[in-house]
This record gives sequence, structure tokens and C-alpha cells, in this order.
Amino acid sequence: MPMIKAYILVKARVGKLENILNEAKKVENVENISVVAGDVDLIIKVKVKSLEKLMELTDKLQMIDGVKQTTTYIIEKEITI
Amino acid sequence: MIAIKLRRKYLFYAVAILSSIIASITVGLDAIITSEMSKFYSPEEVSWVYGFSAFSVGLLISLAISLFLSIKVKGRCLGSFVDPAFNGLRIIRKEELKYHLLAGAGNAITTVGYFYALSLMTDPSAVIPFFRVVILYLLMVEMIVEKNTPTLIEIQSSTIVTLGAILGSISISGEIEVIPLAVMFLVVNPGWVLFSINQRKLKLLKIDGRANDSINIRLWNLFFTLIFVTIFILIYDVINGTSFLLESLKGSIDFFHLVALSMGITFFSYVLYIRALGMGKASVTEAVRASIVIFSIPVTFAVSHFIPIPIPQSSVLWLIKIIGIILVVLGIVSFALTQVTAYIFIRAKPGASISNLIEKIWKIRGVESVSAVAGKYDIIAKVRIRTLLKGYERIIRRLESIPEIGYFEWKSVLKEWENV
Repeated sequence: MPMIKAYILVKARVGKLENILNEAKKVENVENISVVAGDVDLIIKVKVKSLEKLMELTDKLQMIDGVKQTTTYIIEKEITI
Repeated sequence: MIAIKLRRKYLFYAVAILSSIIASITVGLDAIITSEMSKFYSPEEVSWVYGFSAFSVGLLISLAISLFLSIKVKGRCLGSFVDPAFNGLRIIRKEELKYHLLAGAGNAITTVGYFYALSLMTDPSAVIPFFRVVILYLLMVEMIVEKNTPTLIEIQSSTIVTLGAILGSISISGEIEVIPLAVMFLVVNPGWVLFSINQRKLKLLKIDGRANDSINIRLWNLFFTLIFVTIFILIYDVINGTSFLLESLKGSIDFFHLVALSMGITFFSYVLYIRALGMGKASVTEAVRASIVIFSIPVTFAVSHFIPIPIPQSSVLWLIKIIGIILVVLGIVSFALTQVTAYIFIRAKPGASISNLIEKIWKIRGVESVSAVAGKYDIIAKVRIRTLLKGYERIIRRLESIPEIGYFEWKSVLKEWENV
């Protein structure tokens, strides 16, 4: 079955990063979580079966206390090790 | 399925260390097998018989395991638990042949050289530890072939691990003899470099747009190694008037069960080793694998209950070994703690082909993944380098020289978790 992969960029409220991290780790289909320096705080890579599942996942992330904004980048093509 | 989130940089170390834990079990089994074989063969014959049977029986047992791992459950091969890139057994592709021939030749040269060195000595234990110097060979080869100048920390850590591994596995019973040592430095170690550099190249190849898998690489490596080993033993037989090839064939049948067990376990050790080679540089992978000197100690004790193998009694030797082990651990930890990961968000200039652009970015050393995405940016690349300076020298300067890139933004990763 073809899978949909996406990067979700998360901006966090000050002081809420640790909570978001702990909650995001529990979310299903999250492949990778990176804390980054810059205008966004987290880059989360996800792998889901459908666009509907992607929406459910972003919903779950947005509902985590402290998440200010999420931006989703769907991966059209990927080359990786 | 239970998903475990592990700090990303630890995945490579987890895979490489697991590989050496499994390999240490086979060290014990190998001691039992050679002890059993020596009841029927002379010491010189044991080397050749075991060398040949390891690859002939190894090929059969690895084929059986690979077929089992190709069974699909809910659309996923069982082997994907060992290497997520595995999608069933397959015939090698044309683009892989060159690397397989070189890796097979390298493995055969190492094996034959190793057994030749053993056959020259009554007690080889003082010479064998010098195999670990291969880490420094790899560092040099990477510097020349891959234009990959090592950082100071890489040179320091590699040297620490190499010296530690030599101390950790040294024995004071044997003598350091010139010819076996020369064989070790001029034949065995260069052979292993040829083997590991080409296995890494195979792992980094893309097969049908997917990452190459370590299960097929290992199986096909055994196939090519067996061909080269057979040729080498045949040449040796013709020159010296011996009949080692015939004896080896007979030995493969007589000791099938024991060798099959050892090579079955070795299969998983190598599959993980090749997987690690795809994630880290060959020199660093080899350095982490040097942790085998630590795991071999309990195995040696366990095996000594079954067969009479010498356990060091001298407290001085134990002190040397402990110093060696501390050095190995320190070296590996300092490798693990010095790594920089970053995401680069890229916008292409209007009219630029994104497909061509991702191919260009993929060729930059240190780039771990490139994704074409829909949104404000066109491409998200992930890079992994040893220092920020390398990030500038190797990545940013290269990105700036690509005319199709209009804008890019570097975001350093401070901490990372990954599903394993």
C-alpha cells in the first residue's frame, strides 16, 4: 500500500516544548521528532496510509497543550539512505 | 506493533553494537569448531577447511534464512524487521556487479591472508589484534577516495579505539613475527578495506528508487566470496601440491551442523554491520564494531567450560585488557557525542526542475535524505556531519554553487528521536 510521508513543522509556546515532546512521542505514525533552532521548534516526520489519517494526526498534534502553529509539508518524492 | 522512539544518533550505534554482540557469540562457536576440526585435520588444514566451509555452508544457510525472511506477513517481509529496506530475495542488478566483485575479492583476500598468517605461526594471538588497525586504514582510504577529510575528533577517536582494541585482545604468550605481521598489514587489512568500502557503496545504492537492503548484499557477498576463495585455494593447491580444496569440501559436509550454526548467527551480525555501514562512515562503523573485544570476554569464559581454551591468568594482562576496554569505550562514546544534524529548507528558482535539483543535492556528501515537498519550500534536505565547519565547507558552499537554488535556510537539530 502506498504510504504518505510528511514533515510537520511545529511552533511552540514558550515553556511548553518539553510537554509537546512528551505528547508527540506518544502519537502513532510519528517516525521522527527533531528539536530545531530557528523560527520553528520541532520538525516531526510522519508516515500515514491516507490523507485522512494525516489530517487525524495533525489534529492530534494541534490539540497538544502548547502548540501554537503547525505547517504540513507533504513529501512528493524522497531519496534517503 | 510496539514502536520505540530512540534518540536518532543512537540508532547507528545500537545497530553496530548489536552486530558485534552477535559476532562475539560466533567467536566462541568458532573456537569450538576449530577445536573439533583439529581432531581430524592438521593445524594448517584446519585453517583452509574452516575458511572454505564457512563460505560454502554459510552460503547455503544464509540462502535458507533469506528465503525465510522473504515470507510476507501483512504485506511486509519478515526481514524488514532486521532491515526495513528489505523487500524479498532478488537477483543482483548490473550496477551492483562491480561492487560485489570487489567486495567478494576483498573478503576472500582477507580470509585467505588471515588463514595463511595463522598457518605460519604456532601461537598467532599476538598478531591477530593488529587486524584492528584496519580502522586507521579506512580513515586514510576515505580521505583519499571519498575526499572525506577526517576531523581531528575522528582521528583521535579512531586511534584511541584502535590502540584500545589491540590492548583489549592482546596476549603475551605469542611472539610478534615479521612475516605474519606483514601479511596482516599488507594483505588482511587491505582486503578488509576493499570489502567494507564496497559493501558500503552497495548499501548506498538505490535499487528501484529504494535504499538497497543488507540481507541481499550479505547473501550475494557470500556467493562471490566463495567463488574467489575456491579460486585462491585451487591456485594454492596447484602451486604447493596440496589437496586442501578436496579436504575442504569433505570438511564442509562433515562439520555442516556446527558451521551452519555459526554462519547462521554470523549472517545476522553481518546484516546489521552492513546496515550500520549505510548509516555511518566505514571507519566509524569499524570502530564501533571493535567493541567485540569487550563482548568476547564473557563468551570466552563460557566457552572455556566446554573446550580447553587458554584464559589469561596474569593480573598484569588483565590490567592491560581493562585499559584497552576503557579506551575502546571512550573512543566510541566520543564518536557518538560529536555529530551535527540539520534540516535545510530550500526554494528553487522559478522554472528549475525539482527532480534534477534533488538529484544534485543528493550527491552532496553528508546529505542523508532529500524530499521534494509541496508548500512554501520545494525541498527539505536532512544532513549529518561531524562538525559545523564541515557543514559549511561541504554542504553550504556546495548548495551556493547550484544555480537552480533561489533560497535556503539551515535549521540545526538540537535533539532527535526516531522510531526503531
